[in-house]
Amino acid sequence: MGTLRGCNLPDDLYYYVEKHVWAKPMGDGVVRVGMNAVAGKLSGGKLNAVTVKAKNIGAEVAKGKSVATVESGKYVGPVPAPVTGILQKANEKLATDPNLAIRDPYGEGWIVEIKATQWETEKAGLLTGAEGLAAYLAKLEAENISCG
Amino acid sequence: MSDDKVLIVMTSGPDTPRRCATPFFMATLAAAMDYDVTMFFTIDGTLLLKKGLAETIFPKAGGKSVGAFLKETLEAGVKMMACSASTELHDLVPEDLIEGVKMMGGASLWQIAEDCKTVLSF
Repeated sequence: MGTLRGCNLPDDLYYYVEKHVWAKPMGDGVVRVGMNAVAGKLSGGKLNAVTVKAKNIGAEVAKGKSVATVESGKYVGPVPAPVTGILQKANEKLATDPNLAIRDPYGEGWIVEIKATQWETEKAGLLTGAEGLAAYLAKLEAENISCG
Repeated sequence: MSDDKVLIVMTSGPDTPRRCATPFFMATLAAAMDYDVTMFFTIDGTLLLKKGLAETIFPKAGGKSVGAFLKETLEAGVKMMACSASTELHDLVPEDLIEGVKMMGGASLWQIAEDCKTVLSF
């Protein structure tokens, strides 16, 4: 586990830091995706909706393209795909309880699963482990972001 | 007609602050969903594009200004067009408008609308 500036960021996940998204290989090429503690903080801590565009399920998404949107009173923005692949499924629990994405971001609050097609090459662009978290910390410090 | 193009027509202005947040919110949201979004401002909506004015309008007391909503919408990549006839109505010249806004005649609105799958009007 890692805590950077008050933000819980487990060191076994892969982070797409531009939009504070995490990715976790689940086996068989499937990568689970969610928003991390930093995204939860920046969104204001209370969400009105987390929505996955239904027609995108089953379609290919490129790394960086939007797979979901997050709405709060303070913020509206995309959850971009951290990897390229087929968008396999959305977490249906978020439809009735969007705040799961903040309360339990790395557990029940995951957002989508993608069958990654370029994981081996794309994971190099994501931050992970102690070295990755050190780079993440530098970014948070540079932008003066903290979760406290 | 393009599947990913949407148009939002904004006619509300400073006289109705509570009608001035949702259109920007919906535009930013559409951009986050990877739609290609255009906002067309006409009638009183055009006034919101006057430099410095939107920052003085608050849809909710103590909340975010329309200027803050507008800034986020521009940052999300939404294109903003001002109806040239309505700028005349309000005695605005192009230099009065915030950066990044294009002036456009009514015929252009028809052409954009024809090319969009969805049109919302506020």
